[in-house]
Amino acid sequence: MTVTFQLNGERCRFHDDPMTPLLDVLRREQFLTGAKGVCREGFCGASTVHVDGEPVMSCLKPIGLVSGCSVTTIEGLSSGDQALDPLQAAFEAADVVQCGMCFPGMVMSLSAFVRDNPHATRPQIKAAMSGNICRCTGYERIIDAVADHLERQKADVLTKEAAHV
Amino acid sequence: MSDLSTTVMDLPRRDARDKLRGRTRYTVDRVRPDMLHAVLLRSNVPAGRIVKLDISAAREAPGVRAIATGHDAPGLYGIGIADHPLLAIDTIRYHGEPIVAIAAETEAQARAALALVVLDIEPVAPVLTMGEALAKDARLVHEGWRDYEVLTEGGARDGNIAWEARTTRGDVEEAFARPDVTIVETTIRVGRQSHVPFEPRTAIGSWENGRAHIETSTQVPWTVRNVTGRVLQLPPGRVRVTVPPVGGGFGLKFDATIEPITALLARITGRTVVIENSRQEEMATCLCRENAEILIRSAVTADGEIAGREAVVLMDCGAYGGEQIFLSTMTAHTLGGNYRVGAMRLVSRAVYTNTPPNGAFRACNGVYNTFALERHTDEICQALDLDPLAFRKKNVLGDGDLGATGQVFDGDVLKPMLERMDTLRATTGTLEEKADGRLYGRATTVGTWFVFVGPSAATINMNADGSATLVTSGVEIGSGTMMQSLPQMVAGQLGLSPDQVVVREADTDSAGLDVGVGGGRTTVSIGAASIGAAAEVRDKLFGFASELLQTRPEELELVGGRVAIKGRPGSGIAVSTVVQHAQTVSGPITGTGSFTGKGVPSMSGCAFGHFIEALEIPIFVVHEAEVAVDPDTGHVEVLAYRVVQDVGRALNRRAIMGQIQGGVVQGLGYALHEAVTIAPDGRIREDGFETYRVPLAGDVVPVVADLYEGAPSSGPLGTKGAGEVPILGVAAAIGCAVANATGKPVRELPLTPPRVLGLLKGRETSPEFPHIAASFEANTLA
Repeated sequence: MTVTFQLNGERCRFHDDPMTPLLDVLRREQFLTGAKGVCREGFCGASTVHVDGEPVMSCLKPIGLVSGCSVTTIEGLSSGDQALDPLQAAFEAADVVQCGMCFPGMVMSLSAFVRDNPHATRPQIKAAMSGNICRCTGYERIIDAVADHLERQKADVLTKEAAHV
Repeated sequence: MSDLSTTVMDLPRRDARDKLRGRTRYTVDRVRPDMLHAVLLRSNVPAGRIVKLDISAAREAPGVRAIATGHDAPGLYGIGIADHPLLAIDTIRYHGEPIVAIAAETEAQARAALALVVLDIEPVAPVLTMGEALAKDARLVHEGWRDYEVLTEGGARDGNIAWEARTTRGDVEEAFARPDVTIVETTIRVGRQSHVPFEPRTAIGSWENGRAHIETSTQVPWTVRNVTGRVLQLPPGRVRVTVPPVGGGFGLKFDATIEPITALLARITGRTVVIENSRQEEMATCLCRENAEILIRSAVTADGEIAGREAVVLMDCGAYGGEQIFLSTMTAHTLGGNYRVGAMRLVSRAVYTNTPPNGAFRACNGVYNTFALERHTDEICQALDLDPLAFRKKNVLGDGDLGATGQVFDGDVLKPMLERMDTLRATTGTLEEKADGRLYGRATTVGTWFVFVGPSAATINMNADGSATLVTSGVEIGSGTMMQSLPQMVAGQLGLSPDQVVVREADTDSAGLDVGVGGGRTTVSIGAASIGAAAEVRDKLFGFASELLQTRPEELELVGGRVAIKGRPGSGIAVSTVVQHAQTVSGPITGTGSFTGKGVPSMSGCAFGHFIEALEIPIFVVHEAEVAVDPDTGHVEVLAYRVVQDVGRALNRRAIMGQIQGGVVQGLGYALHEAVTIAPDGRIREDGFETYRVPLAGDVVPVVADLYEGAPSSGPLGTKGAGEVPILGVAAAIGCAVANATGKPVRELPLTPPRVLGLLKGRETSPEFPHIAASFEANTLA
């Protein structure tokens, strides 16, 4: 069976078993190794990508189900020498990365979360991270970085609004 | 070294951007379509004898390119004792032990071929617990233990006792016989902890110009090189190991495991071969933090003087000795640490069982021995009606005090750290009100750890643009030393900015010997070697600049990328100009440095079977936890966590804070819910994320930490390791806080809700060890 979908803005075809996990197609066929197969059971969140803008664990997503969809991977979030996504930039500036294996999934999950929840509280950020496991960092500094990022975003919005008045 | 203003900074990690963009290629991301995939046939019984092994049908299967068995790699490896075959030969000693390796064009083909291997194992009754292993007439896990090559002399061994380390200082029996002492005894039992690095152990082997080249996710490239040489019976120099960024290690990758198999299959096929552990394999064969059983007994006077102490520590090494043989050493320095004790004797035994081999895990041995010692200390205080904090302030190791092996400690460190904890607590306040009707407990505990010094080498090559390339066998496992402390140190020494220091990742062909990344040693050992290399470079730069500037070398300094005249910033000549000049005159400027521990004296006749007789660079911690225990469910909530950590000198405070937060959270998992158990068939039950519960974001609290600087350290610039030790005191602080909250004796981990509820309801009994004799001497081979 042939599955056609958009991958990081490009048309992509896959000819094989439609039950093949999206993660395997990304890593083994497309050599996009940013998404990680850590538990491959949907517990850790390291394989998270966006399908039509929503975070999805690619290890659990049969390729057949992304037919006609638009898939964005971590590589597509800020490609080439483009600037980092603001959340990535916040993580870099706060020096929260350690081994880094969980971060591509963490960024894909949380970038959608901050887009949809610009006023999220710290407990809400914590709850949103429950599907992304990190074994190195102990989470709190990542949560700080997300909270700071949201504060800055709010401040930017206020500045822009003030400028329009 | 006086001016460290250009060394100490919150330098961000240089690898963060690629890691955040998903561009970093860990070993697991380097699989190419032209590689062969290898899979392992593993034993599904814990003990037995291979009576038939027929690989002929598998060899004919589609896509199969090579099959290896134990006979293809007959050399044995190990630490202290060479007891471990690469692939089982005749005897099966644990569930999951690899027996056959198959390389095929695809992983699916290799797995299909596995099913065609004809394997008959005659099972024998397994020895699954240390109690069984130490029973009279127990079956020997290694029948031929006497015949093994001894790699390190000195340990007593006997049958299922793979190694015994013993210390004795002073007359313990006399101390216990004193009329003015109370004797307090505590028994402790802890299970295993699984590391769960996000990148599983993965290796890619190829055969190049008659040599093996292994690219692997390891903390110890030189160990992989040497073990591969041993098992393949090659000179180790015919093995090259390179290490891409490592996706977490925590000690699991401190030994060689699957790497030599890839080299073996690459030699047979001439192709590049990858082995990637599945998550199930990774966890089922995890070289866990070992389960342990501890009896500790002290003789203490009414006013709280510890006159005598003795302890027996049993460490399960699983089917092969591995790290536990080395770690038996550490009991003297962890259980034997923290306090000033009159007379002390300790025995630490690594015991063979038919279970998956254990290994090293961040502050290995120290975590549970600190838990045992600190719970024991609180039980002493309870028995004698003493205040635990005052008891600690009175008795912690200070300047001139003796350790278990008779080493003399230098400086008062723990007592001022305890006072700093008082200050920290006064600043943050406490959170008893958040217990909200639940049982509230708080505890302050101390811990002793060390820097695993040992050989490291470094070379610095100066480049014509004025930058420096640092070549070492260091590995970036996530802790940041290769990204932060090393470039900061070299830059500080050479008057460069850290981004002018290129740090080469490990390649055993390009850098000298290193014992690996672990034991909190990278900043200290590789750092010292790097500073040595920088000193040679500096002298050469000064030599050339002195001629060019007509100034004496002692009047020069390296600052802002220039060889400047002291006290006149901006004067002198650019480093790049000096380097270019040197290249035309006498050749490129390079410097080399090397380091190993100098050795700290212990008292003669105190330590037997020890790999480390005294701590070269001790590290101390003070941890404090506040918990709320739900009396209806037994659930423990951590309300607050505070740390005072002896860091020697903090080169990058923000990075150290990150290590403390992460290390404490790993410790919380161990203390509260990470449990590895052995099924009756000898298999590790918790072999996935569903059954093994690691901390999630909702489980954790922000750790408040105060970095204690200025304690004595022979480390470069006064540093100590800061990444390993944050986990050391967590089980102790949580265990003591839960005991305080419940008023019950906490003697086992993890403190899951059922266990805590059992404690509250009086259903949990203290561990009893029939295989530990009442008399200390009966527990030793002496």
